[in-house]
Amino acid sequence: MKKADKVRKPITTRKRLFLFVLFGWLLLILGDRVGDLELYQGSFVATYALGITSVILLTGYSGQLSLGQSALMAVGAYAGALSIFNAGWHPVIGLIMSALVAGVFGLVLGLVAARLSGPYLAGTTLALAISLPTLANQFPILGAEEGIVFDVGLPPARFGEEFSQYKWFFWISALAALIMVFFIVNLLSSRYGRTFKAVRDNPVAAQLAGINVGRLKVNAFAISSGVAGLSGGLLVMLISGVSPSAFPLSLSFSLLGAAVVTGLYSLKGVILGGLVLVAIPEIADSLVSRIGGSESFTTVLPGFIVSALLILAVVFTPNGPGHLLKKHH
Amino acid sequence: MIRQFALPIWGSKMTQFITAVLTSLSSGAIYALMAIAIVLVWRSTRVINFAQAGQAVLTTYIGYTVIQRTGSFWIALVVAVLSGAVIGAVIDRFFMRPIFKRVKSGPIVMIAPVVATLGLLGIIQALIGFIWGITNQSIEAPVSTGGYKIMGTVIAFSNYNLLVLVFVAVAMLLLTLLFQKTNIGLALRASAYSPEIAKLSGIKVDSVRTLGWAIAGASGGLAGMLYIPGYFLYPNAMDLLLVLGFIAAVIGGLESLFGAVAGAMILGFAIIFSTTYISPKLFFPTAFIVLILVLLVKPSGLFAAKKSRGA
Amino acid sequence: MIRNKSMKRATLASAIVATSAMVLSIVPAHANSTGVTATTIKLGVSTPLTGSAGLVYGKVPGAMRAYFDYINANGGVNGRKISLVIRDDKYLPTLAATQTTNLILKDKVFALVGALGTATHSKAYTAAALAKNNVPDLFINTGFSGFTNKAKYPTTFMVLPTYNMEAKVMAKVIKDNFPGQATFLIAQDDEFGADGVAGFTTAGHKFTASPTLYPQGTMTAARAEGALATLGAIPGKPVLVLFGTTDVTATILKAAEKLELTKKFTFLAGSVGADANTLLALGVKSTTVDGIVSASFMPDAKDLTDPYVKQFVDINTKYNKGITFDNYVLAGMNSAMLTVQALRAAGKNLTRAGLMSAIEAKGSTFASAGLVPLGYSATSRVGYNGYWVSQLNAKGEGKPYGGKLVIYTTDSGAGAVEVSNFVRPTMPKNGIPTNS
Repeated sequence: MKKADKVRKPITTRKRLFLFVLFGWLLLILGDRVGDLELYQGSFVATYALGITSVILLTGYSGQLSLGQSALMAVGAYAGALSIFNAGWHPVIGLIMSALVAGVFGLVLGLVAARLSGPYLAGTTLALAISLPTLANQFPILGAEEGIVFDVGLPPARFGEEFSQYKWFFWISALAALIMVFFIVNLLSSRYGRTFKAVRDNPVAAQLAGINVGRLKVNAFAISSGVAGLSGGLLVMLISGVSPSAFPLSLSFSLLGAAVVTGLYSLKGVILGGLVLVAIPEIADSLVSRIGGSESFTTVLPGFIVSALLILAVVFTPNGPGHLLKKHH
Repeated sequence: MIRQFALPIWGSKMTQFITAVLTSLSSGAIYALMAIAIVLVWRSTRVINFAQAGQAVLTTYIGYTVIQRTGSFWIALVVAVLSGAVIGAVIDRFFMRPIFKRVKSGPIVMIAPVVATLGLLGIIQALIGFIWGITNQSIEAPVSTGGYKIMGTVIAFSNYNLLVLVFVAVAMLLLTLLFQKTNIGLALRASAYSPEIAKLSGIKVDSVRTLGWAIAGASGGLAGMLYIPGYFLYPNAMDLLLVLGFIAAVIGGLESLFGAVAGAMILGFAIIFSTTYISPKLFFPTAFIVLILVLLVKPSGLFAAKKSRGA
Repeated sequence: MIRNKSMKRATLASAIVATSAMVLSIVPAHANSTGVTATTIKLGVSTPLTGSAGLVYGKVPGAMRAYFDYINANGGVNGRKISLVIRDDKYLPTLAATQTTNLILKDKVFALVGALGTATHSKAYTAAALAKNNVPDLFINTGFSGFTNKAKYPTTFMVLPTYNMEAKVMAKVIKDNFPGQATFLIAQDDEFGADGVAGFTTAGHKFTASPTLYPQGTMTAARAEGALATLGAIPGKPVLVLFGTTDVTATILKAAEKLELTKKFTFLAGSVGADANTLLALGVKSTTVDGIVSASFMPDAKDLTDPYVKQFVDINTKYNKGITFDNYVLAGMNSAMLTVQALRAAGKNLTRAGLMSAIEAKGSTFASAGLVPLGYSATSRVGYNGYWVSQLNAKGEGKPYGGKLVIYTTDSGAGAVEVSNFVRPTMPKNGIPTNS
């Protein structure tokens, strides 16, 4: 298997590229066929899928449990908003800045985090998640609760009158997500990417084999943060502006939960994870309106359904649904 | 009850300082209550139990119902602590144990319980909302919440604040005694650190772990009943406290109850002083900065006996 | 297990899942669907139902719906029945943005009514592109004066007086009744609080110290005790202006109880944070509530001698079972009554643009429980433009301060605060509007 992989590598990448482009094309064609609501929801799916990717990279692939993805998304979001609104740069540059700035931030964070393990890392990232967004209140340039506008502008005129703003959002978020996921998948399939897995499965052996575990963990943090930053930028694009409340602690938990539900160890399920995050609350809502009931009942039911599903997933498929289909680990 | 101090005439600056110190003590005591519960679960089962916020609030609602029926805070307190123990044990036996059985290796070992407890938190809060409704309730404190009078000025410290401090100290002492001086305590510690070896020694690891969750649940029940009278009772009432309690526990090192209380006091003082003297907007950033500073110096927390043993 | 193949398989699988999900949820295109049919009018609201804000405001949408049910049972509006879609946004701007977008894209409502919150609604307005879609945004449940800006919010109609106006009225109350006392302001650190600060500045009032601004959610008991302990050393009887939500007012009052400073200050609580019943329910002693000065523009919900209040109480008993009538239910039904009159005034041929012109033309004459005038016109989106000063008592009632009801009107700018002899329109029979 190993020898064959080495020979296959260049073909693999090209094949992958082809698949991604094909998938992208499919999505864009699909975008023409559906209504604004579906495009809007689809944009969120793409955004969340990217967020879940960052979680999988960090936790699934390099074994670091972080509860701070929401903070990193916030960093990316503010970086992007400031680039577009204050510096006046093109939205594409803005999104790139989201990823870059968050990545640098993650690098620094990773250097600190490398020394921390398990609950200590969890606690630190938790504290980061609750405190970072509130910094927006401290510095006026960050706009406090009202936040900063994140405006990617109207769709280009050449697309015509019928091209709605939501379709434009969908194009941008789907394409951005696709490109980023493509890079990550390539990275993970490369020789370098395999070292991730080695470290996760057996850090001692990996270290003995000469892999610099510490450096790897830091890199993982940086890359994962970059992905999260881009996801944050896309998220605030969808709500037309960034503010601290866009990144509550519960967002970190949601991403982590979705990552566990759809498989923490591989990127195959990220789209499904994004779908889950978007669809489940909707399903819960429509179920509730159909059943009806007392006021307290209808208010608490959606939360109940989401939590129950999460628990079921953890109990029955802790390693992701993919493992139910495979015969061996 | 008036205590005599030999103090000069107080000016505004002095008042501010004294108030800051006193309110820090009170805040720290509250954080300590939750930090103790978190450390208990961690020490006995190596799990971060986010559902603690739900368990504690649930037991407080039970206590609230008891107060409605009997009018006595103290009976309610006992009931809350006992029900906390029962709920904790039930959760471990019927919820956490199946999860541990299914998840054996990889980073998922650390994560699955976290996610599971998060899901559990949501379920508990939904159940509470359904049974008791989602509107605010409140519980009256059992002792006076009026501040003490010192030299004619009323300070920000009351019988109730004192009560909380006393309970925290007593709880910490009792639990430390339990862990350090009793056979059960030894069994609890052994099962957490080396389950295989403990089993070989004849310890029923699973039952011992359930006991650990029961104790933690009882502690959470105490925390809820002491915390809520100063605030309002609603399903999400203890979420913030859980986060701050967790941070406090990490600062203290997750190893000892003394560490938990110390960490909580440090956190309380830091937050109160920075919000009083620098800016009220620094409430959360202070928590983060304190935590980071501590962990940079000692990655396993302030009072951890040795370097982390490797979970 | 060859990664490449399974990668390919998984990608295609995901594609199929995503595609099917979207295909299955495609609805036939409604090119110009505006939420109006021959028999129904669909309205929508994004508001907190859960969370700490939901505890206070959760009753409002249900109250609106109860009133609409009452009207529907009595012939509806020009033969159409009103349905209200309620979405919970937990007072989070991001959720408000998505829920409002859902109301437009998914529920396809005709108009929004009673959207709540400053940060929540300003974010929701932009995110859901309400201006672009020309969706009427009626009688929003917030007093932030920025919403009167027609350029930024072309489809929005306020109903609450602005916080700016309230601060100006409060400044006058201080000047007239508490001259020479030190004054302090504790306000929420966002646009809501900032609006209040601006109002005091415009009115020319200078506080003894710079205002204490606290970010939402950080006014803990400890913090309140610290603030009050310091202020307690000020000689005389300082006036403490509280511009925050009710839970924070309660926290501050309870800290005052602890420090035995309840009679040290005169508390001037903004209308947002001074609902007496809520304060009592949150554990504030009735002796503390007694004497708090506040401002209001509506009659007190306990005043059954007021015909509007009595009518709404009736409707509440019949159509809103299990909910206790209070100031929030009153506010909800009042907005619903305004909405019905707006819909009627727009005529049988109901369009979004028509609805908005109708309010501009006739809105100032609508009947409502409010004791101050409505300011709608072709150029103004201001709703109620004044306040009467109230004083709370130990029973949780708000009575006119000084014993006599005096109505003040003003604007959100530099205009003076004037006494008004406005008399509100008589309530239509049985609370069922018959205007056109």
